[in-house]
Amino acid sequence: MDGATDMTTRPFIEVSEVWVPEGDRLVLSKGTYGDLAEFASVSERESFARGEGLPGKAWDEGRPVVLKEFDGSYFKRTEAAKAAGLTAAVAIPVFAGTQLKAVLVTLCSDDDSRMGAIEVWSGEGNMLTLEDGYYGAAKQFEFVSQHVHFQRGQGLPGGVWGANTPLLFRDLGAGYKFVRSESAGRAGLTWGLGLPLPSPTGRPYVLTLLTATGTPLARRFEIWDARAARVGTANEAVLIDGICAREGSLYDHDTERRIKAFQGPIGQVLGTGLPVVDASAAGQHGYRTLVALPIHSSREVTHVVAWYC
Amino acid sequence: MKKLVVIGAGMASGRMLEHLFDADPAAYEVTLFNAEPRGNYNRLMLSPVLSGEKTYEEIVTHDEAWYADHKVTCRFGEKVTGIDRDRKVVIGEKGEVAYDKLVIATGSNPFIIPLPGHDLEGVIAYRDLEDTNRMIDLGAQPDAKAVVIGGGLLGLEAAAGLRLRGVDVTVVHIMGHLMERQLDEAAGYLLRKSLTEKGIKVMCKANSKEILGEDGKVRALLLDDGTELPCDLLVMAVGIRPSTALASEAGLAVGKGVHVDDQMVTSDADILSLGECVEHNGAIFGLVAPLYDQAKVLANTLLGKPDTFVNKEVSTKLKVTGCDLFSAGDFAEGETREDIVFRDPARGVYKRLVLEGNRIVGAVMYGDTADGAWFYSHIKDATDVAEMRDTLIFGPAFQGGGTADPLAAVAALPDDAEICGCNGVCKGTIVDAIKGGAGDLPSLKAQTKASGSCGTCTGLVEQLLELTLGDSYAAPAAQPICACCDLTHEDVRRLIKSKELKSQPAVWQELGWKTPNGCHVCRPAVNFYLLADWPLEYQDDLQSRFVNERKHANIQKDGTFSVMPRMWGGITTPDELRAIADAADKFKVPTVKVTGGQRIDLLGVKGEDLPAIWADLNRAGMVSGHAYSKGLRTVKTCVGTDHCRFGTQDSTGLGIKLEKLLWGSWTPHKVKLGVSGCPRNCAEATCKDVGIVCVDSGYQVGVAGAAGMDVKETERLADATTEEEAIELTTAFIQLYRENAKYLDRPYKWVAKVGLDWVKERVVDDLDSRRALVERFEISQSVYRKDPWADHVENERKRYAPLADLTLEAAE
Repeated sequence: MDGATDMTTRPFIEVSEVWVPEGDRLVLSKGTYGDLAEFASVSERESFARGEGLPGKAWDEGRPVVLKEFDGSYFKRTEAAKAAGLTAAVAIPVFAGTQLKAVLVTLCSDDDSRMGAIEVWSGEGNMLTLEDGYYGAAKQFEFVSQHVHFQRGQGLPGGVWGANTPLLFRDLGAGYKFVRSESAGRAGLTWGLGLPLPSPTGRPYVLTLLTATGTPLARRFEIWDARAARVGTANEAVLIDGICAREGSLYDHDTERRIKAFQGPIGQVLGTGLPVVDASAAGQHGYRTLVALPIHSSREVTHVVAWYC
Repeated sequence: MKKLVVIGAGMASGRMLEHLFDADPAAYEVTLFNAEPRGNYNRLMLSPVLSGEKTYEEIVTHDEAWYADHKVTCRFGEKVTGIDRDRKVVIGEKGEVAYDKLVIATGSNPFIIPLPGHDLEGVIAYRDLEDTNRMIDLGAQPDAKAVVIGGGLLGLEAAAGLRLRGVDVTVVHIMGHLMERQLDEAAGYLLRKSLTEKGIKVMCKANSKEILGEDGKVRALLLDDGTELPCDLLVMAVGIRPSTALASEAGLAVGKGVHVDDQMVTSDADILSLGECVEHNGAIFGLVAPLYDQAKVLANTLLGKPDTFVNKEVSTKLKVTGCDLFSAGDFAEGETREDIVFRDPARGVYKRLVLEGNRIVGAVMYGDTADGAWFYSHIKDATDVAEMRDTLIFGPAFQGGGTADPLAAVAALPDDAEICGCNGVCKGTIVDAIKGGAGDLPSLKAQTKASGSCGTCTGLVEQLLELTLGDSYAAPAAQPICACCDLTHEDVRRLIKSKELKSQPAVWQELGWKTPNGCHVCRPAVNFYLLADWPLEYQDDLQSRFVNERKHANIQKDGTFSVMPRMWGGITTPDELRAIADAADKFKVPTVKVTGGQRIDLLGVKGEDLPAIWADLNRAGMVSGHAYSKGLRTVKTCVGTDHCRFGTQDSTGLGIKLEKLLWGSWTPHKVKLGVSGCPRNCAEATCKDVGIVCVDSGYQVGVAGAAGMDVKETERLADATTEEEAIELTTAFIQLYRENAKYLDRPYKWVAKVGLDWVKERVVDDLDSRRALVERFEISQSVYRKDPWADHVENERKRYAPLADLTLEAAE
């Protein structure tokens, strides 16, 4: 947690996009593409019907979808993605009740050294099992994850499920005795963000983003609480947890950080109920990209989670 | 520069040093002792460290650089062994330090209950980073189990942290609900529910007896009911005691804590003290807010500035992610106090304000704490709230409007919740049908069959219509159970089943009760519904019963009671009669009456004599006749084939069997049976709740008769060919009545509502249903088939002692 964060390492997530419904199709609202201009231009021309391509599939099935192999799949931008070196994608639909607000798509590139994980857990009965996940080079950790399950309240996914709130865990591999700590430690995983993903299917889903120091999936995480039960009727949110590779712990027990709707990118998410991807706002904190995602309960935005890379 | 020595580097002394250095960094040269090998960290945040939501580094308040910047000599990891007040030195393990002023901030020690086995390896308190790390290490073990004794703030934070680490945790709490010092029963219920959803097991009213070990290490906790809870770690979080040993040995004035005045000075003018180790005006401290106030006052005293410590009201928050609670002030019930209660079952919200006069004296909130600070300020300021009283509960943003939603309980039901138990129709199906055009009850009945059989779910179905169609649906008026609630008896019964509500607090919260604990109308009904539906899980609540049932005797108009032992089937013996006569003599019973139910009533017994007369009758082999209860009263019989020349079957034998099977069971209203040995009907069976008439071919089982305000002949339920079948039919009918009828409806009223055909379908036609009813009755009887007299003689005797006669004292 010092100021000399290595920003030359290529990030785990290369591309983040927000697709929003327009008529009966999903169109690109905004994307951050880094140097991948060609892929950006292909994406800008694209749109998806319900059930079509990766965003359309996430919409149709009402659940997050992980795609690790583009060839021969329903993925529509395979050629452009291959040319850009992108090998995997995760689509996260954002629902307010049964209404689709947007689909957040993240695309990753693969090599032998990039450690990290984006996981989708789904619950049935009293158990959460791994629906799917993208792990980069953390193959051993992937294997372990496929063979564990979490009860309510247990570990990061079970904790998120039990409390129905986003959680941020520290030291996944070292000081913190993560349920999968041994292999997490070997993969160099440090922090983990878990968030509940409400689905119109009624089935519980939990998304986890696990980041490693060397090849960070994100270098800064924030969790904002926007429930009226916590902040009152004012459309505001308070920071309830956060950690940053540059600034250290972001949460101060004695000093509350509060933002209003439409104030900065987090306020934008709070005001519109839509996810935000933004390069310039991330720059304020010294990062390339900000992704901020709302969590809805019925029609209310209950939380906003943000990650910076 | 003057020398200041501080013993203890906790949060209070840390804050004091901050004030001191801010005001005058050059005033003192500071030496800081700490028994822990580290400086000041935010102890309140140990629970997020335990859960993995924070690292230790993130909760450090003063790091090495801070101490260096302020030129503090740190002697961490070194215990102070004594204070020599004459020489004004503090004696540490590694040498002495002289002081001009000394601050004792030794904090508190966790209280360890001296249970057998408390010194076993693996029994720990929850106080510092070492304890936290012990718990974190436990999380690394596969299938680790922990027991936490103590359902207060600290215990629950320990439990939640351990659970997130993957540990199988059970919280054992001696009181009736969690955090009883901060929360009332309703908020405690919601907290327990939320913790259970996190996979934490909670046992209230659980008394620890012994900690069991193996090879010197903890193995399990044994409760006094014999339950063994296996564990690898046992955390005791039952409270703290001020740490006063050092001050006491130094000869300072010490009570519960180190005595300090308003300036935080002890009985020695050069020694000051603050934090959890002090006692100020009889109060000791466990929450951080007053400690920070003390820190400011103490710093000013050291600098010679006038300041005074005033102990203020404090509010409480629990740091378990996903559990939002708030508590402030005093929320005990009292005659001069009034409650304002708001519940939103759909959102799991409970708010209660306690008012005395026109002032808020206490506030408890769960699930929605946004207005906590606002209420807290009104408590502290003793604001007159008369003007905003009507909307007070809705908080500052709603001054002027807003009412509770009576449909909230139904709205909160999941789509797969069964609404119509008879036809297995769930909420989703009904809502779909309404959306599909079924806009009233008859068309819904036709399409889904919901409310088409017994009709007890009609209220719920109407609420679904109202919920789905909004204002366009005009519901017929239904009678709510009482002013505490908008639901009818039938709705409450059905929701207790479909939402699996197994305690009174669960009913109050999930069904949106408008009072804290119900009233004299709804409590007996809800108590019955709960014990009838969940006989094994729910414990009968004596306080929710009418006086006759509480006292197990009928109160008479002069305040005395009647005592009536059971005479099985109306048969008695000379020995029983002698015992009754002896009891009547001994207790000077003025009236002995033979009743219409074929037994003997002793009228005019004094309340305080009840246990003694019961004990005498018990000794003669007699038990309570339940002549006062909403339960089985008598089984009236004729002499049958043994003596009567017209008798066709052994009616007396059958009556005795039935009474021995059914006695002790609670029912919606009283139940009386009759068995006649032939159609001449000497036992008057045809006007009983269940009446059996023996005939040559077997037994005619009739139900739903009446001979009180209404007179009505029984209706034929079925003809049985064997005695066993007659018993089975009777039992199944009574169980169906127990499970479905409205409280205080006699069977004839209930049958009129649901229809005899509906009853026959379940009791006569469907053999599986009949057997299941009998089975459920027997499960319930495993709890309730016992003599309440014997139980009260043994366990409740003091409740019958007369109140002290105060008239004499008053006269004096």
